[in-house]
Amino acid sequence: MIPEETKRRFDELTKRYPEKRSALIPILHEVQAKVGHLSPQAIEWVAGYLGLSAADVMSVASFYDMFNLEPVGKHMIYVCQNLSCSLLGAGRLIQHLESRLGIRMGETTPDGLITLKRMECLASCGTAPAIQIDGIYYERMTPQGLDELLDKLRDGRLRQSKT
Amino acid sequence: MAFEKILTRYEDIPNYTGTIDEYIAHGGYHALGKALRQFQPPDLIEAVKRSGLRGRGGAGFPCGLKWGFIPSDSPKPKYLVCNCDESEPGTFKDRMLIEEEPHQLIEGIVISSYAIGCHLAFIYCRGEFVHGARVLERALADARARGYLGKDILGSGFDLDIYVHRGAGAYICGEETGLLESLEGRRGQPRMKPPFPAVSGLYRAPTVVNNVETLCNIPHIVLRGPEWYASIGPSRSTGPRLFSVSGHVERPGNYELPMSVTLRDLIFEHARGIRNGRRLKAVIPGGSSAPVLTEQHLDLTMDFESLAAAGSMGGSGGVIVMDDTVCMVRVGGIVSRFYHHESCGQCTQCREGTAWLHKTLHRIERGQGRKEDLDLLLDICDNMKGKTICVLSDAAAMPIESYLKYFREEFEAHIRERACPFEGKGTF
Amino acid sequence: MPTLRIDGVEITVAANTSILAAAKSVGIEIPHYCYHPGLSVVGQCRMCQVEVEKMPKLAIACNTPVADGMVVATRSLKVQKARRAVLEFYLLNHPLDCPICDRGGECPLQDYTLKYGPGESRSVEEKVQRAKHQIFGPHIIFDAERCILCTRCGRFCREIPKVGELGVFSRGDRSEINLFPGKVLDNAYSGNVIDLCPVGALTSRPYRFQSRPWDLVRHTESICPLCSNGCNIILDVRHRQRGEELLRIRPRENQAVNRWWMCDEGRFSFMYLHDPARLCVPMWRQGDGPVKMAYDDVLLRLARAIRRIIETAGPRAIGCIASSRLTNQELFLLRRFFCDFLSTPHLDYRVRPLQFEESDTSEDSLLRRTDKTANSRGARDLAILPGRGGLDVAGMLKAAADGSLKALFVFEEDLVRDVPDHPVREALGRLDLFVASSMYATETTALAHLILPALGFAEREGSFTNFQGRIQKIHRALTPHLASRGLPEVLRDLAKDMGRDLGEIDPERVWAAIGEMPGPYQGIAWKDIGPLGLSPEGQLGN
Repeated sequence: MIPEETKRRFDELTKRYPEKRSALIPILHEVQAKVGHLSPQAIEWVAGYLGLSAADVMSVASFYDMFNLEPVGKHMIYVCQNLSCSLLGAGRLIQHLESRLGIRMGETTPDGLITLKRMECLASCGTAPAIQIDGIYYERMTPQGLDELLDKLRDGRLRQSKT
Repeated sequence: MAFEKILTRYEDIPNYTGTIDEYIAHGGYHALGKALRQFQPPDLIEAVKRSGLRGRGGAGFPCGLKWGFIPSDSPKPKYLVCNCDESEPGTFKDRMLIEEEPHQLIEGIVISSYAIGCHLAFIYCRGEFVHGARVLERALADARARGYLGKDILGSGFDLDIYVHRGAGAYICGEETGLLESLEGRRGQPRMKPPFPAVSGLYRAPTVVNNVETLCNIPHIVLRGPEWYASIGPSRSTGPRLFSVSGHVERPGNYELPMSVTLRDLIFEHARGIRNGRRLKAVIPGGSSAPVLTEQHLDLTMDFESLAAAGSMGGSGGVIVMDDTVCMVRVGGIVSRFYHHESCGQCTQCREGTAWLHKTLHRIERGQGRKEDLDLLLDICDNMKGKTICVLSDAAAMPIESYLKYFREEFEAHIRERACPFEGKGTF
Repeated sequence: MPTLRIDGVEITVAANTSILAAAKSVGIEIPHYCYHPGLSVVGQCRMCQVEVEKMPKLAIACNTPVADGMVVATRSLKVQKARRAVLEFYLLNHPLDCPICDRGGECPLQDYTLKYGPGESRSVEEKVQRAKHQIFGPHIIFDAERCILCTRCGRFCREIPKVGELGVFSRGDRSEINLFPGKVLDNAYSGNVIDLCPVGALTSRPYRFQSRPWDLVRHTESICPLCSNGCNIILDVRHRQRGEELLRIRPRENQAVNRWWMCDEGRFSFMYLHDPARLCVPMWRQGDGPVKMAYDDVLLRLARAIRRIIETAGPRAIGCIASSRLTNQELFLLRRFFCDFLSTPHLDYRVRPLQFEESDTSEDSLLRRTDKTANSRGARDLAILPGRGGLDVAGMLKAAADGSLKALFVFEEDLVRDVPDHPVREALGRLDLFVASSMYATETTALAHLILPALGFAEREGSFTNFQGRIQKIHRALTPHLASRGLPEVLRDLAKDMGRDLGEIDPERVWAAIGEMPGPYQGIAWKDIGPLGLSPEGQLGN
């Protein structure tokens, strides 16, 4: 499930920490990026690698918002719904996304391309409202801006962040 | 009255991109050399104490005092952890600091590590800061290559390595012991205190956890002296502060100012006032955990003491400005939703209370509130404060109490009219 | 040693004692859920908050060490309000399951709510709904809505059997205890979570809907008979129209033996006591098969048979294989009958290799041991061993095979099953008189001329000595079948039929006789053995 060279990278990463367990969250990020989401098999792999029980790893993974334990679309669109962004139109962004994509926040488009997720403060309040697509921030968003991004996304012209 | 920028002086350098060469060309890493050559660790701690530097993450705890708690004679390794989990709503200064001037932070970490005897430091960077983490990794590699990190730094005999450690999306990991739990590969659930991190922190060893901005101040204190630093701003809230101003202002952004600045000047002079010609209705001065203030508080100075005396707090310096189109009940709903989502779930009052507050506020907002709900909210808040492992419970309760204190009639209107008076015409 | 006042009561305790433990030691109950003395302290439930003079906030008693001069109030108004609030928070999402919840009637949530909680609900919000009655494992069923997230179960599995099957998933009020998908809660100690769970979230599958606590007529203290550890237990008996029924077994706290725990095998394997296939009446083999007979007839016939063998072949033609399943009293009476009365030196209990000294070991570094009988140590201490020139178990079987042993008495041992490398069947087949006692028909009893029904441990009074040498009492929880007699009675009546007086057979008097003998138990009185047993150190004291 995890290629040897990735595992070797994990071996190096683990060496940084006085206690091996510290590498858990960084490893979960990478495994999620490789596998698509943290499936039960992915979690068991990580558990086996670090010598932890599968329930323990799942307990940690399920605590954090960025870890998806269910399958998600190829692209994750996070929309900040916190105060400053709401004051500056996050609600309209959410409405626009939901109507244009035909899904509710938290859902994935039927073609598996996009998952919408509500997030809390992304530390972009001065440039609100903000969204994050595949790790990249897009700030001072407007419905028109969203349309342009979605078009680019569909065409595969949107820049991707590595993790 | 332009304030001499210290942490953000790079903003005035044309085409500045924060590379190590630029940083050095503008005096960067001089402070590190001075610290290693001219100071013994206890002297550095003294200097930081004299500077009056207080934590910039939210608690405002005196930095030198925190460093002083590290037992120098402990056989255990010491750790320094930089808290870059910036998640307090309304706050976006740490993100700017790491993306635009990473070496200032790195220099601060190296000096601070030297001061407390730490040889392995971590920057806990919230998971969403993908770009920031990358910038930091590159900067650390550059610093290592130039000898500002690693073995025998600048020939001083002092060894240090720093690693970036990414989080994965949980506000509670900004709480220092929640952060340590997360760094150890666990759920970010805060620990019971005592023991405090200085005694039993990362891997149960003596640890200092400092905010990004706090650490960025350290090189300047070393370079220009604690007395100079202490002369900036009010005597008990010294040094420059980055205020993140957002919401209904003309010019949202980070403003580096002394804490003697008034709320009025911050909003109306620096951030150019309320946009669209509207009136100020409410302002949260220190991140969403801070109780709300109103027009009557505009002449308060933005130091920790004054804000606390007025019933709020300096907190993270996140200033959220709301005009008169804002429904405060809706604000309550948004803020309570946040704490409901972010509670780690350990303590009964917080786990159940944050949900109860949110559900009640949401119901009032929807026009299904009852008269008894307002006093119920206040009692729930009272039952949530001061009784849990960490203060997220208090952070959830106190803002709600303040919205009821200053805007009770708005809540009553929702209950009476069974509708939101701003429906269809407010900012939301 | 710090001295402090709790609710006006002055006490002095060891340094580092928690306020909770200090209060408990003077009988002051501070309500709590997440704290358990056998597990790590997490301070999450917030129930044990108390007021400490000079501390601005309430402190949690489980994690606050006492200090000299401390003044603690556990019932102040501030504490009452805080406690009531915690209970109110718990009840917000707690389902109104009491009528169908096994915990009802012995539930700390009910009890504390009654004592300290609000009388009504102030919430009009929808309760969070979760999956009900999820099978977690062979013994455990989980009702998620009832869970109060005290995390005792997860901590137990991680810290005691050290298998981390249970985890808390998600965060905040979405937190839920669960298993990793596809996994099962089946570690050897899983049943302890039933005791630990303060509510009816984790309950026993076999016990589900069986009884209400107030219908349990008897809570008898006893000792688990299934290995040499001798875990201290309580037998909960319900009276039904069809008769008494042992419905569940729970551990008793004994720090020296089993701490607070017991293994699943001991906890759940007791249904055999009510198995209708159990033998209840003696059976004498006649012609083709065994025929039920009344005790009086059986024992007369047996007495005659024994006399005949002694007359024709001498007492050394008789052997007795006792069992480490028997109580100390039963073993003592056996020795009196066979060695003192019949004068045979052939007596032994060591059927399995593990029963030879030092061979019994810990099976899992927790409680379970490799010797699966309760009283090997007692048998050894009472010298249930061959006399001068006597044969051990192997010797008796050999002598039976070659015809020199004419009569063999085997008590509660299935030799065919447990002595596999001997030609046991042939040996037993050659005997003129083979008497076997057992709870069930076995391959061994199939070869016997006389089968005597044996009682279960829950039907006897007496004592076992565990592997540590601790003497522990067992008490009768169930009335034996009307037609059955216990071993002491059988031996007494058999002795009478042979013109001998076995003496008093009640456990205390037999123990007195044991106490008069030289040996490890000399001088120990029955009353010296308390509910937690009598350790070897305690025995030396006598």
